[in-house]
Amino acid sequence: MSEIKKIKNLKEFSTSADRFEGANLLCPGCAHSIIVREVLNATNDDLILSAATGCLEVCTAVYPYTSWDASWIHIGFENGSTAVAGAEAMYNALKKKGRLKQPDREPKFVSFAGDGASYDIGFQWISGCFERGHNMMHVVLDNEVYANTGGQRSSSTPIGSSATTSPAGRVSYGEKKNKKDMLSIMAAHGAPYVAQVAPNKWKNMVKAIQQGFAVEGPVFINAMSACTTEWKFAPEDTIDISDMATDSLVFPLYEIIDGKKLNITYRPKNVIPVEEYLAAQGRFKHLFKDQFKYLIKEWQERIDSNWDYLQRREEAGV
Amino acid sequence: MENNGWNEFEIGAMLRSFDGAATDIATTHQEDRNYSSSNSFTASVADWRIEKPLFNKDYCIDCQFCWIYCPDMSIISRDKKMIGVDMDHCKGCGICVEVCPTNPKSLLMFAEQQNEEEALAAWPEKEEKEK
Amino acid sequence: MAFDKMELRDIEVWDGNFAAAQAMRQAQIDVVAAYPITPSTPIVEGYAKFLADGYVEGEFVMVESEHAAMSGCIGAAAAGGRVATATSSQGFALMVETLYQSSGMRLPIVLNVVNRALAAPLNVNGDHSDMYLGRDSGWIQLDAYSPQEAYDLNFIAFRVSEDHDVRLPCMVHQDGFMTSHTAQGVKTLTDDVAYGFVGEYKPMNDMLDLDHPVTHGVQTEEDWHFEHKARQHNDLMTKVMPKIQEVFDDFEKLSGRKYNIVEGYDMDDADVAVVCMGTSVETAREVAGEMREKGIKAGVIGIRVFRPFPFMEMAEALKGIKAIAALDRSSPNGAPGMLFNELSGVLFSQKSDAALSGYVYGLGGRDLTKAHLVDLYNELQANADAGKVLTPLQQFIGVRGPKLSFL
Repeated sequence: MSEIKKIKNLKEFSTSADRFEGANLLCPGCAHSIIVREVLNATNDDLILSAATGCLEVCTAVYPYTSWDASWIHIGFENGSTAVAGAEAMYNALKKKGRLKQPDREPKFVSFAGDGASYDIGFQWISGCFERGHNMMHVVLDNEVYANTGGQRSSSTPIGSSATTSPAGRVSYGEKKNKKDMLSIMAAHGAPYVAQVAPNKWKNMVKAIQQGFAVEGPVFINAMSACTTEWKFAPEDTIDISDMATDSLVFPLYEIIDGKKLNITYRPKNVIPVEEYLAAQGRFKHLFKDQFKYLIKEWQERIDSNWDYLQRREEAGV
Repeated sequence: MENNGWNEFEIGAMLRSFDGAATDIATTHQEDRNYSSSNSFTASVADWRIEKPLFNKDYCIDCQFCWIYCPDMSIISRDKKMIGVDMDHCKGCGICVEVCPTNPKSLLMFAEQQNEEEALAAWPEKEEKEK
Repeated sequence: MAFDKMELRDIEVWDGNFAAAQAMRQAQIDVVAAYPITPSTPIVEGYAKFLADGYVEGEFVMVESEHAAMSGCIGAAAAGGRVATATSSQGFALMVETLYQSSGMRLPIVLNVVNRALAAPLNVNGDHSDMYLGRDSGWIQLDAYSPQEAYDLNFIAFRVSEDHDVRLPCMVHQDGFMTSHTAQGVKTLTDDVAYGFVGEYKPMNDMLDLDHPVTHGVQTEEDWHFEHKARQHNDLMTKVMPKIQEVFDDFEKLSGRKYNIVEGYDMDDADVAVVCMGTSVETAREVAGEMREKGIKAGVIGIRVFRPFPFMEMAEALKGIKAIAALDRSSPNGAPGMLFNELSGVLFSQKSDAALSGYVYGLGGRDLTKAHLVDLYNELQANADAGKVLTPLQQFIGVRGPKLSFL
């Protein structure tokens, strides 16, 4: 096992040499890129990466340019996880057979995918990878919508969000179903490490990534990716909106160890009302009409109830 | 490269990040890397910008918030010091200005055509905190 | 040594599946990612048992679907090592997306396809629907008619596919059950000779070369996509056939077994010929011999290399033949059969006046009997005598109900 990179504070972290490059085609203010940087910079080890079809993929490998300074592969929408699993299998084979070109180096295997490519179309592939126990990390860039294709709902889209295939209208408040609980599902695979992170809480996130890199086996990271385009807020507000998400507990940050033990990893000093978070984004604008206002109350109740559940699990050590 | 014919590229549309061997890239900064012409580092998105961030080092405390939250690897930090903005790769999102904690801010957005010297000369004064 | 070699008799009694599994073992594949499906399942099972008994050193990843099997193969091949798998029918259909991706990324992967019908209605038996489904996917497709050929063509497939001038994935087809589950005598190569023929894997653009990071699977739009597809087509049209011929020649020197891009039987003085694939070639050969005893100069052409299509080789093989039957074992569903169309193109371009007729047969594993072929050769002789096709251009053979024919 290679040494864990020392990152005491942000000054020390800022000495990292990025392995993800600019002049990619992601929107100005896109959180995907911030997440990728925090993952890649969390280690100095070699990396073998994949991306599922989606914003990150179509914006970072548009011929004749690549924005990746480590080996990277994209196959399709659903199979980014299995692409990296195949590469990991080849690494193991060549290691056994003594054919690695740099036998003293142990690369980390990471697949990036959006919520659509993870919660929906790629779900089976990820489940297969985790059941088989590949030594890899799957990072979800969770922007709660199919952003690359213009904002269609996914099973990560939260109730009341207006997406193009679940639009708010005269009689509809938008998305009707609540977000799928992927963390519980992935923890139920018995994965050694599962965590929900947010790039605005960089220290918390980098610690989770480093812990994920340190364990053997499949690691699932659900990273909140505030989407300026589809959540409808100004590009400069990405971090502000992310702070609202974590501080309202809409995106609670926690980890589940070995599928069994839940730890809350961030407790806001001042919890803000969910309403502030919703009000800051165009996708929830219609919830403030009289006919749909009851949903804001329901939102708050749901978030409170979930936080209560997480705390009870943590206390009970399960 | 843009005008290459069908017989003038590597099979499988494979791209290389660097020319030649790139050992220990995780600890090699951009200025010491041998980027290939197909690395997007060699391209520019400067023309995406409507506004640009300008940096006033007089107020900077090297907290590195701008570095960690820049989505475009455009805050140049070396030896724990913020030394400038990479104007080829900055898309002008303005996150660096939003997260800058100093008073006055060490980074501010200006119109793309703003003269830097004039902007620095007219930098805002420290704001009094509201009671 | 982390794995054991296996002592084989000079001639073993193997079915096509076991022959393929043995060839995969002898090729010392680095990663097999696979998912079982009838009738190719015994290939995967056979390989798993070799692993369990210590005869395989590489990784064996039992994934959760055929799509994931090929996805894993793509990741492994891009990482840089020898990769193979096996499938059939619905599994092949589920893989189709990734077939185009693997060939477009120019990754050498060997896929054993044990041919089977496509639902609906569901059917587990052999026809060529899955093989036909793959024909525009940018893969090389080799066709075996017997367990011996399934064994031999696997070695040939690795050599061709992994060649740095080729770097295209390759399918080895065999007929479901008729070949895959029918045990026959198979002349073997020793483990050392077999591996010596396939050779050590030579990596190219490998992701695991950590000092030379590569990006695989980029986006290209209207400004680049056409050039990349054109490059792949060019390489299929110009580089693959010479390489296959070279490897066929090498294999003949090694084993004495000769393969040809287009296989001709009794063709030297033939007036009439049947063109077909798979086990039907062997049935047709037997009937052609019998027709010759009755005075009909009958011949058989078997397609060994299905993709790239051997257009000029076929033109040469069909030279001077008066009446030709194209036998398609896949429902064309609203068109003449694929082989009929390909041969029409060949004959028209050569200004041939041969009488070409098409036959659809054997769907879902329905037997092609000798009696069918006797009737067929008689029809061809009548066409040859008349100098034109006397029957409809498309006829169904062996289907119950009123005679079915079109065009």
